[in-house]
Amino acid sequence: MSTSTNKNSYKGLYWIWAALTVVGILIGLYAPAWLMPRSMSNNMHLTVLTMVVFSVAAAPVAAGVYATALFALRHWAHKGDDVPAPGPQVRENAVVVTTWLVVSTVLTVFLLIWGLGALAVDNGSNGKNPLVVDVTGQQWVWSFSYPGTHVQSNELYLPVNREVEFRVTSVDVTHGFWIANMGIQVDANVGTITTIHTTPDKLGTFNIRCTQFCGLNHAFMVTEGHVLTSQQFTSWLASQPQRA
Amino acid sequence: MNRSKSLGVALASVLLGGGALALAGFALASATPHQAALNCVPSQSAANTCSLNLSTFPDSLAGEHGKTGGDHPDWVSYANDNLVVPANTTVDVTIDQYDSGGSLNNAFFDQVMGTIGGTATIAGKTVSSVDPNNVGHTFTLRGIPGSDKMLFVSVPLPADSNTQAVTIGDGSYTKPVVVQFSFKTGSKGVYEWNCEFPCGGGREGEFGQAMSTYGYMSGTLTVN
Repeated sequence: MSTSTNKNSYKGLYWIWAALTVVGILIGLYAPAWLMPRSMSNNMHLTVLTMVVFSVAAAPVAAGVYATALFALRHWAHKGDDVPAPGPQVRENAVVVTTWLVVSTVLTVFLLIWGLGALAVDNGSNGKNPLVVDVTGQQWVWSFSYPGTHVQSNELYLPVNREVEFRVTSVDVTHGFWIANMGIQVDANVGTITTIHTTPDKLGTFNIRCTQFCGLNHAFMVTEGHVLTSQQFTSWLASQPQRA
Repeated sequence: MNRSKSLGVALASVLLGGGALALAGFALASATPHQAALNCVPSQSAANTCSLNLSTFPDSLAGEHGKTGGDHPDWVSYANDNLVVPANTTVDVTIDQYDSGGSLNNAFFDQVMGTIGGTATIAGKTVSSVDPNNVGHTFTLRGIPGSDKMLFVSVPLPADSNTQAVTIGDGSYTKPVVVQFSFKTGSKGVYEWNCEFPCGGGREGEFGQAMSTYGYMSGTLTVN
């Protein structure tokens, strides 16, 4: 087989790869925001952006796998019962090996750096007068208290555009405090307070779920949260009964 | 084997596998024990109002587990776990609390929450909270997001410190603490309730055994 014939025979593969890459990039750009819960905080915006970047970066790689598989099905399928002769080896093809190593290294290092940066931002605090909320998990109810106000509630109320510091713990078994719309999830452990920050920036209602299988009614350990305007939040606090 | 035959076998395998999983699910669901329904009794004097009488015991000898107490006669229990109430109705609840108690591990549950007026009547006295160090059980009922009414009712039941002996079924107890409260139901649905006082024993912060088994300290409230 001559080199030009060989190149021509792979043209179809390149076209399939290019088409699938475009499709993959479009999916990567639009699917995360469409499929993921409504983004209501800085953490969730970053999570959605990370999903977009990772999906777009993965699109050419995934397209290469699918294109090769589709091309192989169409062009390299062996017919008949006899054992086929071995195909050409790519092990010693310097261009293929070098390209693969360089591309996969660059891609992996990029994703690592992005991931570490996103993690640091995700766990960070802007230190600007955060609202502290104590979160307690107990089979099978979440309870929230607002230190300094004597207010406790089974639903979570937060003011918009103000950083919140959740101090999460459990009084029985390990629970998982998860607000999908806020992009935060942290274990609630007995005897330990775990802190996590977020800043809600959209008004509305969201669900809070337990992500650790915690017993009989784990599936019902769900409650509602609400992001209110600053005035509404102040009114809500004032309307709550004061504990003795 | 030709291609269409292979496809047929693959499809049949998937369908059979799915069917087997569905069958196992139905079998597990039907094997979950359900006690006889305790229906809310309509009031003769007030419209859209009914009464529900519950009891909590330090064992399982006086309720739906039967005279022998079933598999775990020494486990604490509510007498009934399968409660049925009408929609859009005021439910007047009376709970006879026969058990002793101790300290809550989460003081949040010493409050009366979700009842009409935010109060309960305990031994004839109207209160909005109780001593968190003297609680026997709680009745904590909750809905889940998505239902049109985020029903949440939680009432602490103080420890029974009476000394006058009473006998119910095969169980010997002391005169109960009587707790009364009312709440309003919304539209149809099934809600979960359970006790939030760590009374179950076991390894999980006293939330094992009776607290982690249907029919003792947890159940359903069906609004129909």
